[in-house]
Formats: sequence, structure tokens, C-alpha cells
Amino acid sequence: MHGSTAASQTGPEATAARAHRWLRLHRLAPVLLVALGVAAVTGSRRLGLGELTAPGPGLWPFIVSLLLTGTAVALVLVDPAEDYEPWTSGTVRIIAGLVSLGVFIVLFQALGFVVAAFLMLLLWLRVFGGESWRLTLLLAAGGTAVMYLLFVEALGVPFPDGLVDAVVGG
Amino acid sequence: MSTWSGIGQGFSVALDPTNLLYVFLGVLIGTVIGVLPGLGPTATIALLLPITYSVEPVTAVILLAGIYYGSMYGGTITSVLLRLPGEAASVVTTFDGYQMAKQGRAGPALGIAAVGSFIGGIVSVVGLVLLAPPLADLAVSFGPPEFVALTVLGILLVTYLGTGSALKSLSMAALGLLLSTAGLDPITGTARFTFGEVSLFNGLDFVAVAMGLFGVGEILHSLERTEKVQAVTAKIKGIWPTRTDFRDSAGAIGRGSLLGFVIGVLPGGGGVVSSLASYAMEKRRAKDPSRFGKGAIEGVAGPETANNASSTSAFIPLLTLGIPANVVLALIFGALLVQGITPGPQLIEQEPEIFWGVIASMFIGNLMLLALNIPMVGIFVQMLRVRAGILAAFALLVTMAGVFSVNNNVFDMWIVLGFGVIGWLMKKTGFEPGPLVLAFVLGPILERAFRQSMLLSGGSFDIFVTRPLSGGLFALMAVIIIVSAVTSRRRKAVFGRVDPADVDEPAPDADRQVTAEGSPGADSTTDTPPTSTPGER
Repeated sequence: MHGSTAASQTGPEATAARAHRWLRLHRLAPVLLVALGVAAVTGSRRLGLGELTAPGPGLWPFIVSLLLTGTAVALVLVDPAEDYEPWTSGTVRIIAGLVSLGVFIVLFQALGFVVAAFLMLLLWLRVFGGESWRLTLLLAAGGTAVMYLLFVEALGVPFPDGLVDAVVGG
Repeated sequence: MSTWSGIGQGFSVALDPTNLLYVFLGVLIGTVIGVLPGLGPTATIALLLPITYSVEPVTAVILLAGIYYGSMYGGTITSVLLRLPGEAASVVTTFDGYQMAKQGRAGPALGIAAVGSFIGGIVSVVGLVLLAPPLADLAVSFGPPEFVALTVLGILLVTYLGTGSALKSLSMAALGLLLSTAGLDPITGTARFTFGEVSLFNGLDFVAVAMGLFGVGEILHSLERTEKVQAVTAKIKGIWPTRTDFRDSAGAIGRGSLLGFVIGVLPGGGGVVSSLASYAMEKRRAKDPSRFGKGAIEGVAGPETANNASSTSAFIPLLTLGIPANVVLALIFGALLVQGITPGPQLIEQEPEIFWGVIASMFIGNLMLLALNIPMVGIFVQMLRVRAGILAAFALLVTMAGVFSVNNNVFDMWIVLGFGVIGWLMKKTGFEPGPLVLAFVLGPILERAFRQSMLLSGGSFDIFVTRPLSGGLFALMAVIIIVSAVTSRRRKAVFGRVDPADVDEPAPDADRQVTAEGSPGADSTTDTPPTSTPGER
């Protein structure tokens, strides 16, 4: 959401306005923490606080979430803006990278390690790494093989059954 | 057990072929990742946590410790040659080390750093042997209130001594404590914050949280910077320092050893703080302080000695009190917890092979590092040719496969991804993941000790202040809070010189003619190349 507001303005003259806008938006992180803290406070109350002599399951979470809420409220008021890094065009790459990791997990479950790992290396090396196709294919194939040998053969990790197991194992 | 028989036992453990192999692997990996700017010791240790479950606890700690102090050596190489600190503790080394390299003295700068690191490491190991057993004896008498006090002190010091805003760190510590409560209540068995998800009944997996925050989070963060690192092409000549070099830096190495040792023992110490303190001390003592920042060999020898000494002595609070002094040790602490071993006052008595074995391995590891570093600097420098994109792709794949292997559970992969997002957002918004992970590790210990204290005292908080030890510790905390509030402005100014977050501000001690761009910084960033390649001069 920050990205879209910042990206809608261009040119050096917009920098000041953008910085100003950013100053107003940058307190979002502490606000989220306050919300989380308040939710945790009510959640722990529901668990049952008990007495100090006989603490219930919610007492400790209650104390901790009060601390979280307290510090977060203070941060809403005094959070220094210079701590924040601006959102850049690189942010889009990160989000794409995150989505790709999610897809990897789904593929990993559905098709097994080999296919998922090969496709992920392919994407990351070619798109995010900017390597040549030749090097990408070489590294992706080699890397997948090495990882498979390391995790499955050497360490005996039971990865979900996949396409390769179906072909090789019969 | 006497100290001597302990040392004997330690060496018999450390010289076991398997452990010897893992010491070597540890220091080698440590040196390599110290050189690579994209991956720091914290991220690497987080990534390798799953592997440690397949080996003995003592072997696991030997490996992780080796990575930690090995990275202190490796970080020097890029600081001197490229003005790019491979990890945060080497930032100070860029001030004079890079200037030495520009004057054609890269060899002696690296040589004296390796020798100094070796001496600092050995001094610290000896100090560890002497100081740890009596400290553990004292700590055996600790009750729950003392553990509450110690744990809170540990969390507090890490929050206050960090480089970021103390309030932000404190709120992250609170978040870490809160996250650690998810799962079944250890006493009543009630499910807390599990949202009906069975996979959460055992709580959030420490490995998944650490790998997400440090591994995935930092890789994503470094991905946002697309600059590439330039490799050094020139040969490094004459690495062994001359007799004059040794004479000039002997005092700095001696002082750095002691200073680093003391700072490392304090919670929140280690790494950055010790090298900065040593640099400041050497500059103040120098007859001609103007030489500093222009290639003074003491400015390299002192800080490099101190950061290695502190990374060793930081094990003292972990092995004797069960309090990790910094984030790296929190990860090692977590690795031991998962293996069913709780580091604390009883460790020396109950698991002597871990305590003494790790100490002996540090001695061996430092020897290996000296042997590795002097002749092989040129090879390590070539590591810089590995491009950040390739590194990121493989690191992520290892992370995902590794976290699955811990519990053979796909759910943990989603946890890693979730915490990866959180870790990246925290970096963007100036929150430090360190206090969060530290508090997450210490959370269950703190909760148990707190509830036991309440039972002991019949629900009165007086118990924390009336017992002399816990009362003393809480008084100390009050002093720390007050002092840090008073001196926070001054502290900010000191840290500003090496703060990884200060991107554009050139260090006041560095030669202003050198305008290397990018952050002189954290162990996780991929920096822009400097405008000149030092080795070619």
C-alpha cells in the first residue's frame, strides 16, 4: 500500500511531498503492533488469568502482551522516521520472490522435491539473479541433483513422493 | 572435576575425528561467509540449524561456534581489500585496513589481523577456562527469582546495547515473548493461541522462526539491492607482517585481547561493541592520533583482536548461566534446547564433555584459522566472484528443504515463509529481529521461573527484590535503564560512526577522499563496489 502511494508521484519535485506522505504513513508498523497487542491482551484474558498464587494459562501471556501494547503505543508517538527504508522498485521483486516461494511449497507437496527445486532454481537464477540461460540450466540441474543426494540419500529426509519417485521407483 | 582433567577430557572430545572434521567445517564455512557480504554468521547459523540435529549435541555446538568465530576472521578480508565489511564487527577495520591496502600494505593488514585474532581467541579461551567453573558454582545456588532476574537482564541488555532504537527493540522482545507462549501451557496443558491448528500445539518451531527471520528475511532484504560486488584481481604480497609491524601492534593486540574478553562476557557485548571500543582506545592512547584513519596498523590489530576475543568469551554467560549474550549465541542456545540440553549452571557438572569439548575445539579452531588464513587469503577473496543472485537461490532452497527435514512437516515451511516476510518488513521499518529471537528462546524459561517464583512467594512480587542476588540484578537493571536514558544521545553519536543503518555518513575517522558508496554495514547487505579497486594500486 505504501508502494502504490509513493509510485503515483514522479520527478524530483515530488520527493519532498513523498517524504512528507511517508512521515504520515510510517507509523503503520507500530499501529499494527498495538492491534496485535490488544488482541493478545483480550485473548489471554479469555484463557483465564488465575491468581498470582495460582497463575492461570493466560497470566504470563497477559503480562507480555501488556508490555507489547505499551511499547507499541509509545512507538506510535515517538517512532523515528529515519529508521525506515523507502519502498523501491526492488520491492516488487521481493513480492514476486515471496509468491514464488509459496508456489514452491505447493509444488513441493504436489509434485515432490525434484520438480519444485528445479523450477525454483530456474526462476531465481534467471529472473532474480540475471544469469545466462546456459548457466541457469546448468546450475539448476546440478543444484537439484546435489540437493536431492544430500537430503534424500545422505540425510534420509522423507520428502513427499513426487513425479520422479513415481518414474524411478515404479 | 579439576580444571586440568577437564581440559584433558575436552581435548579427547575435540580431537575425535568427527569433531575435528566439524571444527574444520565450522571455521571454513565461517571464513567463507565472513567474506561473502550477502550472508552473515547469524543467517548462516540459522540456515544450518537443521543439520545440527543429525549430530551429537557437542558436535553441533563445535560446528556453530566455529562458524561464529570463523566469520570474525573472514569479515576482515573484505574490509581491508574492498572496504566492504563482510559482517558488522569488521566495520571498524575498514577505517585503517582499507587505507593500508591502498598503500600496498594489504598483506600485513590481513596478516596482523589474523595473528591478533588468534592471540585474542586464545586469551579468551584461557579466560573462559578460568572464569566459567567458579561462575557456574555460584550460579548453582540460583533459585527461580534469580533466573527471572538474569533472563530479564539478558533480554534488556541485548535491547539496550543494540544499534537501533531501544524502544523498538523492547517491543520486539515483547513480541518474541508473546510468540513463545503459543502452544500448550507447560503446567495446565491448555492450548494457547493455537487457533485450533494441531501443528501449533508444540508451539512455533524455534528453527522455523529463526530461519525465517534471519535466513529468508535477510536474503529478501539483500535482493532489493541489485548492485554487484567487484572481485579483487590483484595479488596480495607479503602477508607476514614485518618485525616493526609486530612491535607497533603488540600493545594493541594485548589490550584488544583483554578488552574484547571483558566486553564479550557482558550480555549484549561481542562483535561490534568490542571492536569499536578497542579502536577508540587505541586512538586515544596513540602519541599521534592523526595517523588513525590513514593506515595505522594498530587500528587494524586492536579491533580485530578484540572482536575475536569477545566472540569467544561470549560463551561464558551461555555455558555457565544459560543466558545467551547475543543473537548468535541465542541460536546456539536454541540448538542445544532442541537437543534436550538446557545450558545453565549444571552444564559443567552434567555435560562436561560439551563444556570442555567446546572449549578445546575453540583452541583447535583458532589454530586452524591461523593456518587457513595466512596462506589462503587469495583463495577466499575469489569467493567474492560468487554472485549474490546465485547465493540467494541456493540459500533459499537449502532453507526450505532444511526446515522441512526438522519435523518432516510442510507446515513449518509456511512458518518460515511467514517469518521471512515479517523479517523483511522489520528490516524495512527499522525493527531488529535479534531481540525477538532472543526473547523467543528465553520466553519459556522466563515464564516457568516467573510462575515458580510466584508459587514460592505466595503471589508477592517482593521475592524479586528481597533476595540479595535477584534484588541486586534488578537494581542493576534500573541503573542501566536510567543511565541509558541519560546517555542515549551520546550513545547514538558513538554508534553513528559504525551504525550499519547510516548509509551515507562517512566515518569521521576514515579518509574523506575515499568515497565508497553503500552502507558500511550489516552482515546481510550486498554493497555497491567502491569507486576504486584497492589491490590495483
